[in-house]
Amino acid sequence: MKTEFITFRSVTPAQRGQRVLQRAGVDTLIQRTPRWMAEKGCGYCLRLRPEELIRAVDLLRRENVPFSKVYATVGGSLEERQV
Amino acid sequence: MIYLDNGATSFVKPPAVRAAVLSAMAHCTNPGRGGYPAAMAAADTVYRCRETAAQLFDCRPEQVSFTANCTHGLNIAIGSLLQPGDKAVISGFEHNAVTRPLHALGAEVIVAGRRLFDWQDTLQCWEDALRQRPKAAICTHVSNVFGYILPIDQIAALCRRYGVPLIVDAAQSAGGLPVTLGVWNAAFVAMPGHKGLLGPQGTGLLLCGREPKPLLFGGTGSNSREQAMPDFLPDRLEAGTLNVPGIAGLQAGLDYIRRKGVDKLFYREHRQLENCIAGLKRLGLKVFDGPHQAATVSFVPRGDCEEIAEKLGRRGIAVRAGLHCAPLAHESAGTLQTGTVRVSFGMNANGKQTEEFLRILSLL
Repeated sequence: MKTEFITFRSVTPAQRGQRVLQRAGVDTLIQRTPRWMAEKGCGYCLRLRPEELIRAVDLLRRENVPFSKVYATVGGSLEERQV
Repeated sequence: MIYLDNGATSFVKPPAVRAAVLSAMAHCTNPGRGGYPAAMAAADTVYRCRETAAQLFDCRPEQVSFTANCTHGLNIAIGSLLQPGDKAVISGFEHNAVTRPLHALGAEVIVAGRRLFDWQDTLQCWEDALRQRPKAAICTHVSNVFGYILPIDQIAALCRRYGVPLIVDAAQSAGGLPVTLGVWNAAFVAMPGHKGLLGPQGTGLLLCGREPKPLLFGGTGSNSREQAMPDFLPDRLEAGTLNVPGIAGLQAGLDYIRRKGVDKLFYREHRQLENCIAGLKRLGLKVFDGPHQAATVSFVPRGDCEEIAEKLGRRGIAVRAGLHCAPLAHESAGTLQTGTVRVSFGMNANGKQTEEFLRILSLL
């Protein structure tokens, strides 16, 4: 179950991020960012397993893939998280 | 038809290009907007092409923007670096795709280097021009009329030394010669998708080393609440729906080039160029040739160049005559009054066709 989210401003960085993570063996799903997470309106996100979130964020930073925010499940609900 | 007009567009495209266009029309909708499978298939098609282009031209995928053609990219690049009245250096072999936007902008233009096939003179003139502290430099990699390969590595180095941002017009070189945004450290490199890259007409790429100013404003599928265009690439330059079938075809063209190898394609075309030049000289025609020449040659025929091209066309040979949208290049070579007939070889070049062209020309 992929429940954590990394959001991106548009589809291109999300796709680049997905490629970077894929090469490192991190499996993700790409989808439209849920409206409530897309502060500026419209965007794409990667969904991934909770246990891979920290590593994924680290990989994206290392490869200079710009992402917007990270959302993780905290106490049963999704919340923005600083990673 | 014996097709010797690859300077205009490559023809016939590889079958894989045609198949990719048709497949995209059957399976892809609008990229970067929806999240359903056909929208994501379109986004994936577009991204694969961006990624392949980035590998070929030494940049990051988001630095690759899709344009309608090379002219479109050059307009963006020129508009991004220059204001009315600014000084710009250009080579003596630029196409109207460069000179007209500069004219429209009211830029002050310095023309550097007008001698064909003479790198030493070209570089000396460029250095003199760059000392005048222009706001930007714009240089074609290969003259579309004469096939002159300009010393772009050295020109890029000079631009870096003088701190002048460089725009490279790779209309005639992309797919045939190494093109690199990274090594040149260019501000922009513009190229068509439908010439040496073998994609469909209506495609082009702009590689961005600097932040560009948008030429088109509109929906990008990102930052929708903001009225200003996104400040990030490629969205900043890609308002409106992309030409997905064209981009799918371009991706197939890039794959073809990668498989065959740029060097091999260049060698094949160049061998025909040499045969052609030798044959034209045997016919006693004025031929423009020299070192540093891509697979394009111009000659001055006996008689009106357009009429000769017309007669060749009626006999199944496609060449281009006239001024080739590059009056500056013709002025530099002294052919502004007569024009020339241009023969430009492509991936389908072969000796039989070259011989037949020369035979028919000799009869006219």
